[in-house]
Amino acid sequence: MQRPFAYLLALLIAGGLAYGVWSLAGTDSASRALSISLALGAMFGAVLQRSRFCFLCHTRDFLEEGDPRGVLSILLALAVGTAGYLVIFGIWMPVPSPDRLPPTAHVGPVSWVLAVAALSFGVGMAIAGSCISAQLYRLGEGSPTAPFALIGTAAGFVLGFLTWNPLFLAATSEPPVVWLPHTLGYAGTIALTLVTLIALAAVTLRFSRLKRADNATTLDIRGVLCAVFVKRWPAYLGGIAVGTISAVAYLRVAPLGVTAEIGSLSRTAANAFGILPETLYGLDGFRGCATVVKQALLSNNGLFVIGLVLASFAAALASGEFKPRLPRFDEIWRGLLGGVLMGWGAMTALGCTVGVLLSGIHAGALSGWVFLAFCFAGVVAGLWARRRFAF
Amino acid sequence: MSFKQWLAGIGLAAAIALPASAQQGPLVEAEWLAKNLQNPKVRVLEVSVDPGVYERGHVPGAVNVNWHTDLVDPVRRDIASPENFKKLIEKAGITKDTTVVLYGDNNNWFAAWGAWVFNVYGIDAKLLDGGRKYWEAKGLPLDSAVPSYQASKYDLPAANLSLRARLADVNKAVADKNATLVDIRSAAEYSGKIFAPEGVKELSVRAGHIPGAKNVTWSKAVDPATGKFLPKDQLAKLYASEGIDGSKPVITYCRIGERSSHTWFALAKILGFKNVKNYDGSWTEYGNTVGLPIANLSGTVWNGK
Repeated sequence: MQRPFAYLLALLIAGGLAYGVWSLAGTDSASRALSISLALGAMFGAVLQRSRFCFLCHTRDFLEEGDPRGVLSILLALAVGTAGYLVIFGIWMPVPSPDRLPPTAHVGPVSWVLAVAALSFGVGMAIAGSCISAQLYRLGEGSPTAPFALIGTAAGFVLGFLTWNPLFLAATSEPPVVWLPHTLGYAGTIALTLVTLIALAAVTLRFSRLKRADNATTLDIRGVLCAVFVKRWPAYLGGIAVGTISAVAYLRVAPLGVTAEIGSLSRTAANAFGILPETLYGLDGFRGCATVVKQALLSNNGLFVIGLVLASFAAALASGEFKPRLPRFDEIWRGLLGGVLMGWGAMTALGCTVGVLLSGIHAGALSGWVFLAFCFAGVVAGLWARRRFAF
Repeated sequence: MSFKQWLAGIGLAAAIALPASAQQGPLVEAEWLAKNLQNPKVRVLEVSVDPGVYERGHVPGAVNVNWHTDLVDPVRRDIASPENFKKLIEKAGITKDTTVVLYGDNNNWFAAWGAWVFNVYGIDAKLLDGGRKYWEAKGLPLDSAVPSYQASKYDLPAANLSLRARLADVNKAVADKNATLVDIRSAAEYSGKIFAPEGVKELSVRAGHIPGAKNVTWSKAVDPATGKFLPKDQLAKLYASEGIDGSKPVITYCRIGERSSHTWFALAKILGFKNVKNYDGSWTEYGNTVGLPIANLSGTVWNGK
């Protein structure tokens, strides 16, 4: 694409997003939530694209190349978001009373089903090349795999709906929903979270093979523009921004998540074809990325995802990273297979690396930590399998 | 003290001294409430059902009331026990001379349930006309801080059960026609075309209504643009057209008893009818009761799905 044309298109998209945010905001809280969802989605998309914040790539960079920066940025995002959430909890629920959970926070059930789902998600992201949120921002970059990964994800969701009832009866119906502040209090929760994150950061740095990071910016207009729009943002900036957006989203709309809309579309479609069970036991009562049979066209999460993809597209255009090309055969099947594993995992775990891992750990939910551990195990296994069988 | 400050002081003193005289009726206006948020004699409580609504922004100083735990007894399927209700109002710092104002989401449905429960326990709670919807549409301030008030001591009277209909009262009304039953659900629910409104799980194995009940859907009592109740004369006309004019006792019901509290409020509080009861067992009790005949105009039969 010609550079001036790309800049113009990026500018148009940015303008269109700004117009959307402005025109959606009405006098009632529902339309304000739609407006701010689009705005936060756009910020999230721009941050993901500019800092290449991707759970899989960060883990892979570390495991395979010894570059610790990405993993450190994830840990930083977890720390910043936890602090932000606790500031909000302090206002909304000054005392973490034992019979209540903070409203809408993603504090999910913990059982072996969550572990299996997270493992499946981890293997799936290793095969598809990145998790769902990163597939979405890569859609904006014209990735050849992303469309297939997202189709696979939608199919995986339908599989998840079909296996939900037996799994629910087997495990999820009476699982502990563990919210750390109930036992540790707020101070104990943030202390334990930070100590754990610092320990993980220390381990990461211990195995780092990258000794010097060079990211100097020339301080003139050209240099700064280049640093903002062209060069990759330093990883820590991405981590801080992701944690901040997560807390702001919780304060104003709902915890971050990227799968509710995909899941709702799958559920609505599968429902229309009559292949869903009559009832999905207890599903609508759990905290997490809730799926619903859609009744309205615009939803908070739908606008968030649209904002994410469009802003990533605009950011990729500006930085020259929009490089669409026809997919190779292996990209198609890896996308589909990885997508199905991720979709099944995200449906069964009630969210993905964003909705359960990020928003869960931020909220002091044990479910977030369990997802982190098993998803990581899945990634390690998936990457090993790809090297071993060379696909 | 400048003249301006002096004038403001007079205004503030007047606002604090005259809360009750300014709002005598069962409804309070958003504009009045906005000026009386600092008034220690006014206590605002939010009863919303959508999670996170109160926490993300409520009328400044409003206390959060959780319908599912604070206003009902989930074990007995009953209104809140006197002990729990007493705890709730003492924690909110309510005394005998507090003006209690309730409001909430969903057109004040659950706030109206709250107002009914408050009235059962002898507290003449008012509703913020238009609820959250109108307050937000006016662009009035919201706050996310949770207030804490000095706890009060409240001598709770025995529950006034004349405001509440039980199944036996309803059966007597059907048999003796000594009271008018008002079904405030939608026409489709009333006729038996559907078992439950859209988006709600069917909780009764029969569709239809209580024999002899009139159908005045709750929403007819509300201005759809503002969410406020219709003016008193229009409300009187609406119910009179179905023969409900206060000359005969009235029993309101819906599916679970919360929308019917809204109509109970209109009839008992706004129109001031003397003998109005809310049947909180409503259709989920009556429609499921073995051996009681129902009226089902559509002839739908539950097929187990």
